[in-house]
Amino acid sequence: MIWVVWRQHRGEGLIVLGVLALVAVFLVITGLEMSQSFQESGLGNCLAYAPENSPCSALQQAFENQYGFLLSLATFLLALPLLLGALVGAPLVARELEQHTHLLVWTQSITRRRWLTTKLALVLGASLLAAGAMLALLIWWRSPSAQFTGSFSNTAFDTSGPVWLASALLALALGIFAGTLARRVVFAIFLTIALFVAIRAPVELFWRPNFEPAITVTWPIGQTGPTLSPQDWRVAEGFIDAQGNKTNKLQCSGNLTIIQCLQANGAQANYITYQPGDRFWTFQWIETGIYLAFAVLALGAAFWLVRRRLS
Amino acid sequence: MSNALETTRLGKRYGRAWALQDCTLALPAGRVAALVGPNGAGKTTLLHLAAGLLEPTMGKVQIFGLSPRAEPHEALPRLGFVAQDHPLYKGFTVEELLTLGRKLNPRWDGVLARARMQKLGIPLDRRAGKLSGGQQAQVALVLALAKRPDLLLLDEPLASLDPLARREFLRTLMEAVAESGLTVLLSSHIIGDLERVCDYLIILSASRVQLAGDIQEILKEHKRLIGPRQDEAAVASVHTVIEADHTRRQTTLLVRSHGPLFDPAWEVQEVALEDIVLAYLSQQTASTRDGSAGEAVASASPSTQEHNGMEVLK
Repeated sequence: MIWVVWRQHRGEGLIVLGVLALVAVFLVITGLEMSQSFQESGLGNCLAYAPENSPCSALQQAFENQYGFLLSLATFLLALPLLLGALVGAPLVARELEQHTHLLVWTQSITRRRWLTTKLALVLGASLLAAGAMLALLIWWRSPSAQFTGSFSNTAFDTSGPVWLASALLALALGIFAGTLARRVVFAIFLTIALFVAIRAPVELFWRPNFEPAITVTWPIGQTGPTLSPQDWRVAEGFIDAQGNKTNKLQCSGNLTIIQCLQANGAQANYITYQPGDRFWTFQWIETGIYLAFAVLALGAAFWLVRRRLS
Repeated sequence: MSNALETTRLGKRYGRAWALQDCTLALPAGRVAALVGPNGAGKTTLLHLAAGLLEPTMGKVQIFGLSPRAEPHEALPRLGFVAQDHPLYKGFTVEELLTLGRKLNPRWDGVLARARMQKLGIPLDRRAGKLSGGQQAQVALVLALAKRPDLLLLDEPLASLDPLARREFLRTLMEAVAESGLTVLLSSHIIGDLERVCDYLIILSASRVQLAGDIQEILKEHKRLIGPRQDEAAVASVHTVIEADHTRRQTTLLVRSHGPLFDPAWEVQEVALEDIVLAYLSQQTASTRDGSAGEAVASASPSTQEHNGMEVLK
């Protein structure tokens, strides 16, 4: 059965591998350039020995100006797990149902439970390996900028730990489930994308900031706020208006200083809401757990559908 | 003697519609049986139930006394199945399909598979998708035969084949039957071809078994009676009238006889198998049945000249 799965899915495997190789080449080339620039500009030494000094922030600014766009491209990498789900997961069962080959393979001498188990084990294993290699590369790629931007803010968080792997598994599991449910490859691909976004977006936007109660600090207008480490995650910042609401909308006209403007808007105090950097791993494991739970649910449903409903 | 296939009040429901209902039949081992019936009669459903692809909604199905769903490890190796339109992995070469068979079947006979492919002139390095329809059907059949099954189920194996491919397909099948004595159940519309290869007939219509038995017996039992116009009640009291056709002067009956026919008013004729099949299929629904396995006795009903979408090809 292992040979059959390999023979059957090597095509998709090679396509995924090809895409990953292209991404990897891009990451290696740009990563080498960034780390070289990071050392040669002196930013590396500066952050290592004198992180509080002002020359650091100037160097940092220069680095960000040069590579900020590149770093922001990493957001697109969040679609990689989806590629896995749509290209490998969705057709895994759906193509067999579409081309009626399930009638061929389910009437050989192995049970369909073993058929699905073998398929899943191999495809999940291979995907996990590929996602792991990609994760290592991404962590290395981000290592210079991570020293001053941290790894806790949105895109960086997604590409810096087990959440990345869990997200790949989730996409794959949703793809398999969608394919089993939809029985048509094209429909399954759309369903996979919809399900993946429907789970990931709310978790990332609304749930993650509240895995643990965030810390909010307020301080009077015109004074210096708390010093946050780059590893802390600034969830929200702004001011507290006359009604006591947190906001970051300012409306000023004319040549007012920022403080005058704040006062004109009735600001009572500045505030910042953040998640301290030492919660990074807790948050990683919580989110990993959430995605894995959804993945297990989807795979369980796929097994049930194959054994019960498709009969 | 054990039965290769046995079903007891077998039924399968999709939503509210029964695809197969109350199906009781027994197929003795060693037979080559034809399963005929109009489209939508439940032939595919019956074959899928027998192959363990479907779970019965009611009743039970057994092959050699095994439940294909509950005992797949014992039942699956004894089954060969070729689905409608003989699906294959189109991207696999013939060689790779044989490897698939070898990897997935403990009783796989690679020598037989290769010999058959060679005899059929099918190149092993050709992708399945590049083969002609007839060759694909042959490959699917050889894959099923090389499992060394005791029961071979074929779902409309001839439907998509041209007459030549049809003949070659049946030749491969008959050779395998002669060599191994396996039991075959094949569904088809093409009655002419079936008569050449089958010795057992099962007629399925309106999701029920209308007739099942040895073809020679069936031919012996069924007679056409032609006589002056009269009511068929007298005949129906002894024999089973399958089809009655009255013109102004003449009455023609197709009966299943349960003994000798004495009334000299009737001229008795032999009936072709195809006419028997059509007579059963044109009965809208069977009204009465006796409960014995494989037997279904239909009450007299006027012929409707409708063949329930049955295609007759000779």
